[in-house]
Amino acid sequence: MGFASRLRSGLRNLLRKQHVEEELDAEVRAYVDLLTDEKIASGADPEEARRAARAECGGAEQVKQSVRDSRAGVAIETVWQDVRYALRGFRRNPIFASSVITILALGLGSTTAVFSVVDRILFRSLPYADSSHIVSVGLVQSLEREEFMLGSFFYQWRDSQKPFWAMASQGANPHACDLVRNTPVELDCIPVQAGFLPMLGISPVLGRNFLPAEDRPDGPPVALISWNVWRNQFGGNPGIVNHLIDIEGNQVRVVGVLPRYFQLPTLQHADIYLPMALDEAAQRRARVGQPMRTFARLKPGVSVAEARAEMEPLFRSTQQTVIPASVRDDFRLSVRSLRRREMEGVTLPAWLLLAAVMSMLLIACANVASLMMARAAARSHETAVRAALGAGRARLVRQSLTEALLLALLGTGAGLALASILLRIFVRLAPIGIPYIGRVHLDLRIVAFALVLALSCAILAGIVPAIDRPNQLSAGARTFGPAHHAILRRVLVVGQIATSLVLLAGAALLVRSFTRIESQRLGMRTHHLVAATIVLPWSRYKTPQKKEQFYLQTEEAVRRLPGIRAVAWTDSLPPGGWADNRRMSDIGIAGKPPEKMPGRIVARHVTPGYFRALDIPILSGRAFQQADRDSGQPMVVINRLLADRLFSNSDPIGQHIQTMPGDPWYQIVGVSADSKNNGLADPTEPEMDFLILNTDADWGRKIPVGEDMSGGAPMLVIDSVLPPATVASWVQSQVHHIDPTVPVKTDTVAQRLNDLVVRPRFETALLTFFACAGLLLAVIGLYGVTAYLATQRTREIGVRIAVGATRIDILRLILAEALRLVLIGCFIGLVLAVSFSRFLKSLLYHVSPHDPAIFAVVTAILGCSALIAAVIPARFAMRVDPVDALRSE
Amino acid sequence: MSPTQTNLLQGTLDLLILQAIGDSEFHGLGISRRIEQITRGTFHVKPGSLFPALHRMEEAGWLTSSWGESENNRRARYYRRTKVGEKQLGVETRQWETIVRGIASALKAT
Repeated sequence: MGFASRLRSGLRNLLRKQHVEEELDAEVRAYVDLLTDEKIASGADPEEARRAARAECGGAEQVKQSVRDSRAGVAIETVWQDVRYALRGFRRNPIFASSVITILALGLGSTTAVFSVVDRILFRSLPYADSSHIVSVGLVQSLEREEFMLGSFFYQWRDSQKPFWAMASQGANPHACDLVRNTPVELDCIPVQAGFLPMLGISPVLGRNFLPAEDRPDGPPVALISWNVWRNQFGGNPGIVNHLIDIEGNQVRVVGVLPRYFQLPTLQHADIYLPMALDEAAQRRARVGQPMRTFARLKPGVSVAEARAEMEPLFRSTQQTVIPASVRDDFRLSVRSLRRREMEGVTLPAWLLLAAVMSMLLIACANVASLMMARAAARSHETAVRAALGAGRARLVRQSLTEALLLALLGTGAGLALASILLRIFVRLAPIGIPYIGRVHLDLRIVAFALVLALSCAILAGIVPAIDRPNQLSAGARTFGPAHHAILRRVLVVGQIATSLVLLAGAALLVRSFTRIESQRLGMRTHHLVAATIVLPWSRYKTPQKKEQFYLQTEEAVRRLPGIRAVAWTDSLPPGGWADNRRMSDIGIAGKPPEKMPGRIVARHVTPGYFRALDIPILSGRAFQQADRDSGQPMVVINRLLADRLFSNSDPIGQHIQTMPGDPWYQIVGVSADSKNNGLADPTEPEMDFLILNTDADWGRKIPVGEDMSGGAPMLVIDSVLPPATVASWVQSQVHHIDPTVPVKTDTVAQRLNDLVVRPRFETALLTFFACAGLLLAVIGLYGVTAYLATQRTREIGVRIAVGATRIDILRLILAEALRLVLIGCFIGLVLAVSFSRFLKSLLYHVSPHDPAIFAVVTAILGCSALIAAVIPARFAMRVDPVDALRSE
Repeated sequence: MSPTQTNLLQGTLDLLILQAIGDSEFHGLGISRRIEQITRGTFHVKPGSLFPALHRMEEAGWLTSSWGESENNRRARYYRRTKVGEKQLGVETRQWETIVRGIASALKAT
């Protein structure tokens, strides 16, 4: 009852404030009037009576204030008052408010954006049920570092294993397949076993998963389609289930639609999922069997290491029975958590970026704290007056907290706006290969994270100066806040400079490494080169003759355009990406005992124009000639590195080598110069380039087509004097002329090269941005503190000048202080940077993580900018007029 | 005024006001005078304490108020006790008696 009544009054007080105030005013006036009347009635002089009545009442304002304080809703009322007061303060001093908001927004915006990106990589569970229990299991070898399995032993492993609750495979690679409706659409198809989706804990959003009966060689043709195909090709029609669709000319029944964000655990892109439909008995008998990627779900309580140990005996027996003795030692068992498999290679950069952006946030928070302290110090006069006029300490603390919270909220708002912009930029710029980047967005959790960060930052900054507010009237004194604020601010600046140095050093190392990568000699032409990837639909190009005919016809047609200098087929292109690699230990040289050398060889299959197109010089011997293609003579050009390894003291030309016992012998016709062939950052590897002969064997097998594409789609490389766009459309038109159903993808070698550096460029650019922002903030912080300390010492400076100090002495005095902070900061920063930079080692190319030159340069940059930041306020201090300084007392 | 006295007053002010108003209605000065009268001049309640208490008690629903004319034609705000206020007076009275008994026995014990 009392509560309801108080609530009613509270609302009235808040909503009808004016009316309530007027009534109160009238009531208090009436009291005085009545008292006056009373005194007059008892015989006092009217004037005297009024004066006495007023005195007895004790000040109308105080009475009203104490009534207001006792009213319901007074808390909300004062909060509102504080907010208004704070806003008024911001308007009066817009530079302060806008700097705090900008700094907070910058720090929070970048942190939130980066956190949103790395959240998926580092913290978020993968989009499968109980994803921490899923592992990738299989063999690894020097030519294949991701786990793979073969049909010849998969079933034995699956049946005899103990650590897994379930184990299932997908095909090794998606293959191009045509969905034919009115016109063919090229999509990616992937075969998966019936148990694959249940093992991942994924069920279709529409329809059902494959039945075991459908996962057999003679099973009915069925397919699951991705959400995107369902939406884009079938308009999201819910009646799609049980519909027949045409895939590669076969009528296939759609049994279900996969969830919107489903992603293969290999992170490969796929549109249509088909049953793997392996003949189990045939696979068990096969010498090698179907290659596949296998994943498994751990039984509860089994760790990855335990699972690996339990699989070891199975692996040993497989190793003995399936793998040829010559390469047996090269194969190892591998069981990795799915997160490690998916995020290998991005985890370190993700941590790095998070650390960088957090450091920047720390610097930003230190700046905010420093600004708030400076403001509190500058307002100590005002606060002292307010305290003297009766404002309680709690009220003062609340006031300064309100101000801090308000700034934090405004800063967070601006920060989130910035974050959403930054995130859009990140997603746009992000290189391929950052998992789940397409799904990154600001969610509530991340917003809450930002808000907590901002609030704790602001509360700390707001409450520290407020708590030890001196209660005595210090309005006239020339002191600015207690001395320990100055110490705290100095500590903050030292911390800022140290953190900034660490950031700068990290960024500088990456920049240096990146320029080294970009400026290195590749040993090949990259400009004016167009690469056209042409994958033949395997259903219509089944015989080697048909393929050969298509490839030769296309080559001939493309060559006809004037301005084209060289045309060649190849299955891979330097400097990075997939290549048909071989083991060094498998190499045999005719007439020499086998020599087991470690390492691997990059192998390509090319036609004669290859070396001319890529401008790779032949050092000795000769390149392939057009006539060689019909000679039926297997031949190879090796690079200098391989020549040196294999024939250190003899002439390689004319020698015969083979890449596997039982394979044909290839004659070495030439030695080419080394070109980058193992990615941009890793050292060049030995290379052998085989000639594609015009034989069924070579066109049918060496240039893989859709069906068993193991990574190398055939490519036509074209060197010309024409613009790439002209060449590209020419190739398109020629292929279309020969067979309009064959899809052609064209790009330039320069573009492919660019794709290789996108990742390091992205990481370097981000880190550099944070480092520069951090440097700027740290320098602003130093400027602020130097200016503050200089102002605080105005009187002292005045006295010094009055007793004969020169202007230079004063400059030296102020600078010495700033310099000390910079030196301490740099020293701490250097120690930290040197101890942290080793984490960067694996990201650096030809740069030592402790490169002294880089550390020197970075320290110099920081020192100089810091010095400039200190000189400006020091010069102001130098111009202090002693008379003014002393008079201001 | 020493703090102890203030506290004593604060604790008993509501009781005194409810008692002073009784079943009739008074304006602020009237209540002040009535308290002086019924306590035989022991307590003199100043407006700085009186008005906050009146407003608080009104918000709690113990009093209602209305504007009226005083005997010498001044517009003044008159306070009247509500049913809830009467009940509250009972509560406060009992509380006060408890305190008085307690203090009395404490004083006797020395």
